[in-house]
Amino acid sequence: MQDSNDVIISVKNLSKNYSTLAVLKDISIDIKKGEVIAVIGPSGSGKSTMLRCLNALETISGGEIYFNGNPISKQKKYTKLREEVGMVFQHFNLFSHMTVLENIMYAPVKVKKRYKGTVRQEAMDLLEVVGLSEKADVYPDMLSGGQKQRVAIARALAMQPEVLLFDEPTSALDPEMVGEVLSVMKSLAKTGMTMVVVTHEMGFAREVADRVVFMDEGYIMEEGRPEEIFGNTKNERVKAFLSKML
Amino acid sequence: MAALWKILVKYKMLLIGGAKVTIIVSVMTIILGMIFGILMAFMKMSKVRLLRYFATAYVEFIRGTPVLVQISIVFYGLPMLGIDVPSIIIGGTDISRLVSGIVALTINSTAYICEIVRGGILAVDRGQTEGAMALGMGNTRILLCIVLPQAMKSILPSLSNEFITIIKTSSQVSVIGIGELMYAAETIRGISFQPMAPLILVALIYFLITSVFSFGLSKIEKRMARTTRHA
Repeated sequence: MQDSNDVIISVKNLSKNYSTLAVLKDISIDIKKGEVIAVIGPSGSGKSTMLRCLNALETISGGEIYFNGNPISKQKKYTKLREEVGMVFQHFNLFSHMTVLENIMYAPVKVKKRYKGTVRQEAMDLLEVVGLSEKADVYPDMLSGGQKQRVAIARALAMQPEVLLFDEPTSALDPEMVGEVLSVMKSLAKTGMTMVVVTHEMGFAREVADRVVFMDEGYIMEEGRPEEIFGNTKNERVKAFLSKML
Repeated sequence: MAALWKILVKYKMLLIGGAKVTIIVSVMTIILGMIFGILMAFMKMSKVRLLRYFATAYVEFIRGTPVLVQISIVFYGLPMLGIDVPSIIIGGTDISRLVSGIVALTINSTAYICEIVRGGILAVDRGQTEGAMALGMGNTRILLCIVLPQAMKSILPSLSNEFITIIKTSSQVSVIGIGELMYAAETIRGISFQPMAPLILVALIYFLITSVFSFGLSKIEKRMARTTRHA
């Protein structure tokens, strides 16, 4: 197991308000290198908001988030942080005016200023990994939802991030496409990628996650190993939620 | 028909010259209008309140006043303000009037193009910006390389419409003595004492020019649609 020196992201007493509405209240969590964390909980519990704070897509109202020991609120620009902390969205957010290959290559070439030839090779390798090599020159609109999400994962990986955040990556997919995306995420977890996954896929959380975090009403209500959470939790809220989901 | 033909043959140099000027004025206005229109749209969406107020006031004022008045104000008003459009001689002709005309039409089209572009940018899904942010892109790059190209695709039909309008509106700069098509028609009427024939001829030439533009723009539209299914 990892020791505590391997903490990549450390969240301390994080809170987030939208004017008077408190969405997150006193969230603290350490995310270690190589760990796969599944964040579950009812809608409106603040799961996505918490995730979006980790790469500064949301500004935080209180507390602090440390990335590799550095407080992120002290940074003037979040672009460097976001190069290291990738994100996969519920609605894919592929650039519709670029081909699949251009989508993957754009940020590594333009933002990280890496050599185009190398990036192209890596992008093709990534497409191979997600099983979409033959779609390299196709525009996103021609792809199915599952294919789009696999491209989005490849695009995030092309930045060679230290952590990958998943914001309900299968929630917008037709049921028969959920499997193909989850299997890509599973094999990614096996490579040792640090992943934080907000999900409603309890099977995935139970099978793949090292740790499951249950959120409700802006708090982390419960966290632990999957077998603890799914097996014999004593928390009534978690029980009630799981009985509805399973 | 015969009358038309006679006028066409006799005054073809005047008509060709007029068509050239119409095309020059229109193309220049379209290019400059696009540049300033996009800038104005950025200003209208800026976080800086002053820029936003300026852009809003500009658009409202320009859209709320007749183009003919704007053309005259630029032509007579600029020298009175101490801004002299210098006499620029190109190929033996003074084009300072032409410059005034292009400036006036650009001022006018900037307001309309601004609103079209702004609408297009607002219509681009917020997820596109977030996707780009999550990849570490800066705001300027996101706006210019991710949002604007996608906005362009959806606003091309409205832009085409505006470009055609610019070509037709350019006829109004004849009032400040710019020798474009409408001016040519007036000239020919004066010489030949035939009011109808030259008007019908320039109407046909305007239609020819706008048709060519429409055709070209629809080609571009089709090309851009290649990124969309069921194109």
